[in-house]
Amino acid sequence: MNIRSNIALKVCLAAILLLAGLTLFGCAGIRSSPEGISGGVIADGTLFLCPSVKQAGGLGCASPQLEGKLVAVDISNGNRLWEVSLEASGPTGGGYGCAQSATPVAIYGNPAVAGDLVYIAGYNGRIYAVSASTRLSQDRYVNEANPQPIIGAPAVVGDRLYLGSADGRVYALNAVSLEKEWEFQSGGKIWSTPVIDGNMLYIGSFNKKLYALDAGDGAKKWEFPTEGAIIATPLVYDNTVYIGSFDRCLYAVDASDGSLKWKFMADSWFWAKPVICNNTIYAPCLDGKVYALDAESGEKVADFDLGSPISSSPVLAGSSVVIASEEGKVFAVDTGSNQLRLLSELGEMVRAPLCTSDETIYVYTGEQNLYALNVESGVKSWSLAIK
Amino acid sequence: MGIGDIWNLIAMQPVINTLIVLTHYLFNNFGLAIIVLTIIVNAAMLPLTLKQVHASKAMQALQPKLAEIQKKYAKDKQRLAQEQMKLYKESGVSPAGCLLPLVVQMPVWIALYQSIMHVLAVIPENLLGLSKYLYSWPIVYSTLPLENHFLWLNLATGDMLLALLVGGTMWVQQKMIMTPGADPKQQQQASMMLWLMPMMFAFLTLSFPSGLALFWVTSNVVRIGIQYSATGWGALVKAAPQKKGERDKKYKQRIAEVEKAPEGAEIVAPSLTQEEGLSHEEPGSERQDRGGGYPKSIRAIRRKPKRGRGHRPKRR
Repeated sequence: MNIRSNIALKVCLAAILLLAGLTLFGCAGIRSSPEGISGGVIADGTLFLCPSVKQAGGLGCASPQLEGKLVAVDISNGNRLWEVSLEASGPTGGGYGCAQSATPVAIYGNPAVAGDLVYIAGYNGRIYAVSASTRLSQDRYVNEANPQPIIGAPAVVGDRLYLGSADGRVYALNAVSLEKEWEFQSGGKIWSTPVIDGNMLYIGSFNKKLYALDAGDGAKKWEFPTEGAIIATPLVYDNTVYIGSFDRCLYAVDASDGSLKWKFMADSWFWAKPVICNNTIYAPCLDGKVYALDAESGEKVADFDLGSPISSSPVLAGSSVVIASEEGKVFAVDTGSNQLRLLSELGEMVRAPLCTSDETIYVYTGEQNLYALNVESGVKSWSLAIK
Repeated sequence: MGIGDIWNLIAMQPVINTLIVLTHYLFNNFGLAIIVLTIIVNAAMLPLTLKQVHASKAMQALQPKLAEIQKKYAKDKQRLAQEQMKLYKESGVSPAGCLLPLVVQMPVWIALYQSIMHVLAVIPENLLGLSKYLYSWPIVYSTLPLENHFLWLNLATGDMLLALLVGGTMWVQQKMIMTPGADPKQQQQASMMLWLMPMMFAFLTLSFPSGLALFWVTSNVVRIGIQYSATGWGALVKAAPQKKGERDKKYKQRIAEVEKAPEGAEIVAPSLTQEEGLSHEEPGSERQDRGGGYPKSIRAIRRKPKRGRGHRPKRR
């Protein structure tokens, strides 16, 4: 065989191997299609949940499931009551080669319930309103001209629906018609969930600032700069806004004027929303620890090492703060004694926020299973696969 | 500690954190960071790349001798292998020299590729996954998440123009290292590969984030530069020097035949123009390759034996 051609063929073969290596091993652990990590919300004995949108398996051009759904579950027995499809009428994603032609309806924020309506904000830039009684739904793009992903959950107060978008704007929509009432341009992407307290709206932005807006007209009251992007949802308590930033700090900011009260630095990001009990902040961190901080001074009261990152927002159930780590261990911290105990080992990744009702904790896992756990014993009351 | 952890520790974490720090110092421009890091990595691997280029070149230089051996021992495979190995040993060329550096470089490219995909982190799942790779440098944490826009590109999505650039630069690079073989069948095969690879990469580029395509384009351009400095344009410029080389070889062979032949023997040799497929030229017309002219009569060379083997007459 001709040696030169031989070399050329070998080089081509090596390049093909390289390409195959990149495709097979390089992609390992890296997703390019959004799946969603939404948790449940409970209203009148019904849990509303948007399951994650799993990619179909297989090498090469994996075709993601495009349609999302809203599922209603009876929390007393774990029976599926009904489900409504959330159609993938999203913007095109290019459509070249293996690129998908439409954005999947992946849901990252928890649904919000107000009366009969359940609101869901989609990664495809649409807001959905589903009637729990008739299952009829309406939807529309929040930004028709330039649809951008909505990561945070919507917040409903009165007849208004508030949400932040990756187009950098905070929107207030009419809760019935979904028509825009006002918008506020932050100057950075928004993945954070807005929190309404009185007439004020608090939300973080990728531009490293926490904003306080007038919930009535969107006028900016103050802004608080941090050293990192803000993705977490603020916690408002006793005229103080507690917010985690990508600079690894948890800030306590005066809600009236935006001045810093204190800040606490951890070893990684504060992703999940903290909870407060007995004047103590329980702030989960991606460094695998839950920090118990004095709400007034920011002094560390205790920390609890859960062994793996915590991205799931904890809940307060009775006198316990229940937290799930990414590796699927569910813990309870007794707020009286600050003692940590293991409730359950699910063995499945947990990133979705927890929710609770009475003495039961509801955990939705990365394996698309919903578990109901007793907060005292950790015993599974029921489980349901929601795909 | 598993293989995955070791891989993360020695490959992923350094590359990811370097990318983020570079982005911070390059005006928070992730596109520039990709370009600069690709150049740095290429510079770091320059000795290996040069080794690969020179090994390929040396293999090409051995081709006539290898062809001769192959012809001579076509029926005795064992002897053929022995002679080939002997030749490699004598000339100090290792057949693995062409591929080994490429194999060694592969993990680095895979790490760079994975890092770009991770750092782009356009969806929350990826950003969450990224946190475990970060060093505890304040600068790293405060720089994230990165801005995905560079020039006209959204680095997180595919881009047609960049895909064409990937294909184009890859073609140029391939063309430079691939010299046409004598066998038309193999030449056709090589030519097919020359087109197949760039087209495949260009097509795949459309499905990958353009941040990755930017890495490929930069890498290709750097390698074209390295290849050029080591071996010139190669087959990319199929101009006179290439033909001249061919003609030199044939010319030398003819000289050898003439010198070996007994005195007075008739040597029949086809004319250069016929042999090289240049018969379309008008007799006596001016040839483009003015500098590569040779005496038309073999006997003319024979009349100057003192000049020795392989001597080329001066260019007119």
